[in-house]
Amino acid sequence: MRLLQDKVAIITGASRGIGRAIALQFAENGAKLVLNASRSSEAMDATVSEIRALGAECITSIGSVDSEVTAREMVKAAVEQFGQLDILINNAGITRDKPLMLMREEEFDEVISVNLRGTYQCSREAARQMMKQRSGRIIQVSSISALSGRPGQCNYAASKSALIGFTKSLARELGKFNVLVNALYVGVIDTDLTRKMPAAVKNDITKNIPLGRIGTPEEVAGPCVFLGSNLSTFVNGTTINISGGGYT
Amino acid sequence: MTPLILEQARAIAAERQCITLKLKETLIDCLALEKEPTDIPDDCLLFGVGLGLDSVDALEIVVAIETEFGLRVEDEHMREIRSINSIVDLVQNNTTQEKEVA
Repeated sequence: MRLLQDKVAIITGASRGIGRAIALQFAENGAKLVLNASRSSEAMDATVSEIRALGAECITSIGSVDSEVTAREMVKAAVEQFGQLDILINNAGITRDKPLMLMREEEFDEVISVNLRGTYQCSREAARQMMKQRSGRIIQVSSISALSGRPGQCNYAASKSALIGFTKSLARELGKFNVLVNALYVGVIDTDLTRKMPAAVKNDITKNIPLGRIGTPEEVAGPCVFLGSNLSTFVNGTTINISGGGYT
Repeated sequence: MTPLILEQARAIAAERQCITLKLKETLIDCLALEKEPTDIPDDCLLFGVGLGLDSVDALEIVVAIETEFGLRVEDEHMREIRSINSIVDLVQNNTTQEKEVA
């Protein structure tokens, strides 16, 4: 069963890692895609090729999500190319980890801008279209950092916590328009970032996860498919925890 | 007033009447108001006193204006959404601008 047949989705930060996995699972489930990344890259080209090889329609929209222009162009591209917009996945995010005392103001602002302002810009533009359609899904990729905090991530944890309040408020605003807004607490996932971690740090993290391992990007993509599909028509304003039970 | 100017003024007034009626019908429909267009005065305020609408209704109004009149309501237009007359001004000014651009 293709759970997202003919649904049109925008996925931000889609060139690698979790965004790429979401894009591939959406394509396998029949979605038409607008993929965003902050800049063109070989990784993005490869993701697009893989998606097209699956027989899915896919276009790209390049630009930083914290720009109103990027957000507007992404939604415009979806509507012009595919006639509608059903799902927005606010996945784009950055880290600039440092202890607070060493964190420069620009490093704080940059993370807040991409992770939080980016969600504001993209959600605002998508909501405008979805309200007219009387249908839509907005999904924020938050983090277990928002739940438990992590040393060196005051900026990142603050941005990801903010997404939870943002989600709950927007869910209340848009419910009347049948636009559902949800979030994900994403745990430690096997991405380029975690591959660079020292083995000792990884072992410490793994010890705390009842499943005894870190997650895969595909294990984040699955709940996104669920939240984008007709299996979740009464799920609104909530956050799904995808941490293998390690951070609940 | 020359006959030509008078004719233009009449055309603008007729257009305004049309927009006003369409707007009232749209708002009644999208906000499920138990009213007829004639029950709503042109200078009726939308929020608080007047129609007593709230901020979520404001979203409905924006969607209705964009859908019915083919406009994009920008941030700077939001303050115009306060009465029937002010919205009609917004629609008329912006459709005039679009016609001039075209």
